[in-house]
Amino acid sequence: MAGHGESEKKSSDAVNDLQTFRAENLQSNMKVIYYSRTFLSIIGGVIAGILGFTGLTGFVFYFLMMAITSVALIAKAKFSIHTYFDSWNRVLLDGFLGGLMSFVLFWTFAYDIVHIF
Amino acid sequence: MGFSVGFVAGFVGVLALCHAANSTTQYKGLLKITEDDFSGPPFNVVVELIVGLVLCTWAAITVPGIFLSIHPHSDDNR
Repeated sequence: MAGHGESEKKSSDAVNDLQTFRAENLQSNMKVIYYSRTFLSIIGGVIAGILGFTGLTGFVFYFLMMAITSVALIAKAKFSIHTYFDSWNRVLLDGFLGGLMSFVLFWTFAYDIVHIF
Repeated sequence: MGFSVGFVAGFVGVLALCHAANSTTQYKGLLKITEDDFSGPPFNVVVELIVGLVLCTWAAITVPGIFLSIHPHSDDNR
């Protein structure tokens, strides 16, 4: 049964589903999360710049954006995380700091365009 | 992937954001003439930003692709 394209991490154990799972689907799901988070970080940065946030307010807005993204991703997974991921951390925390860089970049960019020039 | 609805929604959301930025810039120019302080963009700009955010959130969730199940035996025709 090895020629069907499944990549199993350990030897098949039909009773315990957590032992074997499809790594390529997990990776594809992680990529989807990464794209969603990055896009929403950029959009959040532009909105923070337009609204004129400075300092700590902007970072609080970033946490708010990431919370909205997490809720939207959990809703997309129809609230059954273990069907698509192997732990909650992947949905809630992955891509958090990478998005912060994009957020600050576009926040500065939008703030300069709207408020300074 | 073609022009899916999510893609169009994202595009319209980004357009709404650009229009809101433009409106805020004009508003600031007006404030400079009357020499008031900028305490926040006008209400219709805030509404436009919220609409843009909702559209972009929807696009961000639908465009990158669907979630695939990681269980080895639960997919169809696998």
